[in-house]
Amino acid sequence: MNEFIPLMVIIPIVCALLLNLLHKKDNSTKIIAIIVAIIVPIIPLIANYGLHYFGGHAPLIANSTLLSSLPAEIANSTLASFHPAITYSFEAFQKLFIFILGIVAFFAIFTSLSETKRTSGPLMFLMFMGIAAVTAILLTDDIFHMYVFFEIAALAQTGIILTSNTEDNYETALKYLIVGSIGGPLLLLGIGFVLGVFGSVNITDIVYSISNGIVDPLSPTVLLAFGLIFFGWLYASGLPPFHTIKSSIYSKALPHSAALLQGFTVITFIAIGIVIFRIFSYLPYFKTLIIIFSLLAMILGITMAIMQTDFRRMLGFLAVGELGYIGLGFGLGTHLSITAGLFQAANEIIITALLFIGFGTVMYLTNTSNTNKLGGLLSVNPKLAIMVLIGGFAMAGVPPLNGFQSKLMIIQASLDSGFPEISIIAILVSIATFMTFVKAFHSVYLKPKPKDLKLVNSSVPKPAIISIAILLLICIILGIFPQIATDPISQFVGGLI
Amino acid sequence: MIEFTIDTQLAALFTSAAFIVIGLFAAIFLDNIIKKIIGIAFIEEGANLFIVTLGYKQGGIVPIFLPGMNAEWFAANSAYPLPHALVLTSIVIGASTLAVMLAIAMVLYRKYGSLSTAVILGDKKPDIIKSGVIDSNEKGDKNE
Repeated sequence: MNEFIPLMVIIPIVCALLLNLLHKKDNSTKIIAIIVAIIVPIIPLIANYGLHYFGGHAPLIANSTLLSSLPAEIANSTLASFHPAITYSFEAFQKLFIFILGIVAFFAIFTSLSETKRTSGPLMFLMFMGIAAVTAILLTDDIFHMYVFFEIAALAQTGIILTSNTEDNYETALKYLIVGSIGGPLLLLGIGFVLGVFGSVNITDIVYSISNGIVDPLSPTVLLAFGLIFFGWLYASGLPPFHTIKSSIYSKALPHSAALLQGFTVITFIAIGIVIFRIFSYLPYFKTLIIIFSLLAMILGITMAIMQTDFRRMLGFLAVGELGYIGLGFGLGTHLSITAGLFQAANEIIITALLFIGFGTVMYLTNTSNTNKLGGLLSVNPKLAIMVLIGGFAMAGVPPLNGFQSKLMIIQASLDSGFPEISIIAILVSIATFMTFVKAFHSVYLKPKPKDLKLVNSSVPKPAIISIAILLLICIILGIFPQIATDPISQFVGGLI
Repeated sequence: MIEFTIDTQLAALFTSAAFIVIGLFAAIFLDNIIKKIIGIAFIEEGANLFIVTLGYKQGGIVPIFLPGMNAEWFAANSAYPLPHALVLTSIVIGASTLAVMLAIAMVLYRKYGSLSTAVILGDKKPDIIKSGVIDSNEKGDKNE
């Protein structure tokens, strides 16, 4: 039933509004949040593939009765195939990512509820609004609709930082909003140029106009639109020059919230990336530009991560660096590379969430994230420490975990495309990621416990351990059976290219 | 005397460009947070004006198809309504963002007693705030 498609967005929004109203009623908030967090990953599993037209306004060619009643000059023109309504497209690719987002959201909410004494209604509201917004970004085939939900997601992310009560969270939120308020309108301006040139904001219609020569695809206006939308994409994804602010927002949010925030970023990154690829990939220097920014993200991300003494900032920079691998997939532009990039995106959402929740338990135990002040935590929960270690290995690309599979595919794709230099950089960044992670793990778990380190809590909440264990299990399953993710992605990429 | 005339659409496009440039200058170079926020509002409104302008048609009619109208004549003479519908949503988003930014600016003013970004976001944070010796709310009533 295609009615399930809009429900993926509507249910989190309704839940968010309800939770905001009930924020002082702890038990009700908790129960509703958990129930909806369970429903969110289930809906994509039971929904049928297809299109959903808001208002029921399908293109004229989809309605043969109406089409036959129209004058021939309209029925036989290109107008008949244009989309008059906002369209949601749901395929195996969207199913995979919405399911992964739902799983990560569930664990983030589950851990959040277990680690905080009082349930924060506004935090839950913002989390569900963010989930709804990011799901809509992934589903929509309308570039303006995407912009609207992109702004809602940005506001939700800012709100999540504001509710964290960490040091300097307001300053970081303001900085993010100021940067975002420049990036957002410029993206809107780019969409305005697209509207001006193509007369539509539906992505399929725009691609149709380009491929059928209805508009000049190399006009200066199109180039300007590309520049502005590309700038908005850099801001949305946290690629350089926005890598510092993006990693700051991860470090100022609570770890379980950061686990969700990075999921928002990765999905926004791939959704806008796919749109840019569909509309502008024929432009000269398109691929080179994306490769340059992706390599910059990888190099700057890992360079800054290795210098951090705060593990939240370290994870933030590592997450930004990992985005570079996804960008490389788009930049190389082959079937294998884009499949690898999108597979890497799926893996990154899971692995980074695991690490944020895993290191979040350290903050729960000690109330600090400074690695210089930590040590000797292996004895508190050795099983948890090993799970976090394996999660770190997955991020670094150690076989047979999922990170290894996707990074190997990216390296193969770059070799196939005749760019061995990119393969070398990718391998070096992987090694540096491994070193960074091992250094942080040693500082937190293995080095002798500092005398002045006091445990605020004696044990880790079970929901956090369960979340980490299940996320790790997904990493191992995707590492051994990568085709679970690569098959739907590859099928989608086939249609894209 | 030189008679200078300019097309309405072109004038609107120039105005939107001016809005965006002035807004970018204010958002990037001015120190006061409120001025930065006003600059951001300028950028947003510049982008909105640009999109509204796209739907403008010289001598056009309101895009409402009334009974008795000839379809071809209507298609040739009506303004393009899609940009106007989009801008309505965009204005709402802009207003929400501005509201959140102003709320954060208020909180930060109470904390630092200043609206200067150099003080709030830069390295010029007062030592008393850095050390956390006093509750930041105590500084709330001081002027910049």
